[in-house]
Amino acid sequence: MKNLLEFLAKYHHWLLFVLLEVASVVLLFQYNSYQGSVWFSSANAVVGKLYEWRSDVESFFSLKKVNEELSLRNFYLERQVHELATAYGDLTKDTTALERNGLKFLQQYQLVPAKVVSNSVNRKDNLMTINKGSKDGVKVDMGVVCGSGVVGVVYLVSDNYSVVIPALNSESSRISCAIRGRGYFGYLHWTGGDASRAYVEDIPRHAQFHRGDWVVTSGYSSIFPPGVMVGQIEKVFNSPDGLSYRLQVKLATDFANLRDVFVINDESVVEQTRLLHAAQDSLKATQQ
Amino acid sequence: MTIDSLKRLILFVVLCLAQALVLNRIHLFDYATPLLYVYFVLLFPRNYPKWALLLWCFALGLVNDTFSNTPGVACASLTLLGAIQPYYMNVFLPRDAVENFVPSLSGFGFAKFLGYASSLVLFYCLIFFALEAFNFFNWEQWLLSSGASALLTLLFIVVFENFKRNKQADVAS
Repeated sequence: MKNLLEFLAKYHHWLLFVLLEVASVVLLFQYNSYQGSVWFSSANAVVGKLYEWRSDVESFFSLKKVNEELSLRNFYLERQVHELATAYGDLTKDTTALERNGLKFLQQYQLVPAKVVSNSVNRKDNLMTINKGSKDGVKVDMGVVCGSGVVGVVYLVSDNYSVVIPALNSESSRISCAIRGRGYFGYLHWTGGDASRAYVEDIPRHAQFHRGDWVVTSGYSSIFPPGVMVGQIEKVFNSPDGLSYRLQVKLATDFANLRDVFVINDESVVEQTRLLHAAQDSLKATQQ
Repeated sequence: MTIDSLKRLILFVVLCLAQALVLNRIHLFDYATPLLYVYFVLLFPRNYPKWALLLWCFALGLVNDTFSNTPGVACASLTLLGAIQPYYMNVFLPRDAVENFVPSLSGFGFAKFLGYASSLVLFYCLIFFALEAFNFFNWEQWLLSSGASALLTLLFIVVFENFKRNKQADVAS
């Protein structure tokens, strides 16, 4: 016993070393599992506040450019709406259909505007922090979009901040998407590297499309409504197993320069997921 | 709390803030990110209590992990660095070193300090990026990131040390 105590007294720092390393490794692995420690992430209140100040300072200098981009985009969309409304009116003689349907579409979704307070694009598995949390109605698994396209899915939520898994996360981000106007669907996968390009996997071999076609969210995952911009097809490859196509897309969202985003709060999703869980449960019950 | 610990705490806060607000944003050529907080570990004097050194390192890692959303990565690698620093420093010590010798450019001389700092920084970067990627599949990128980041970090450290030495010289003259 005395020897043991002497041994401990002499080598106590190695004991401490092992203890701290074990704590680190626990942290390392715990975070990878779902719903890890919100405390040791940038959703923690102190870190979030600090990052918010920084992004406030930065935005002060970039506001002009953002404004220009937004008004350009606004102008473009307004033109498009106008063209489409005229075309639709010409075809059906029903000139108010767009207004009515537009309102109906918006009623289903509630958008929570948020600001990106910290973001990275250079790692293999990037994460992003936004300044809205459970107090603002943000919940885990809600979709996040910005003015130009899809951004990601909420991963961790604290009172005032949330961590989002953006599409630029090679490990955890798989967003279900489809080729606009043609309907073939696959999933969006980023493999690291260039922050403006990603791949759409699992497009069937018999699909017909062209380079330059737009890829949008499919709406199957019920996280995103259908039709949110993802990107434009640049190149077409065969998948490694040769059973499907792999499309290289230029992402519509500029992740390196992202500031204002919206969290999609879709009331109907709750019902949808409940139904899905009920179906899974009943399947399990019949199997037993 | 002694003056020494207080000074160390201030350096701790300053390094963490600099890392979180500025340095984490630097990605030179997509590979090099300065990890300047390693500087903190290099500065522990000879015969500093080892348990305290380990706790400082762990705390530094935890704070930086929290800022960059990489729990455990910097923690694990900094604690390891803190464990070997006291033994490693002995290799470079001048023969007539005092009991509480503080590693610095003026104390070691340029060549020795460069050897001491560069090997520790490179070791840290290798461990850090290996843990961050968590596999050796992409070993080219791992080596590139570690090497480039270590170089950039070292550049910052040498600039700081030089600045410190010049200031000391000014005070002395």
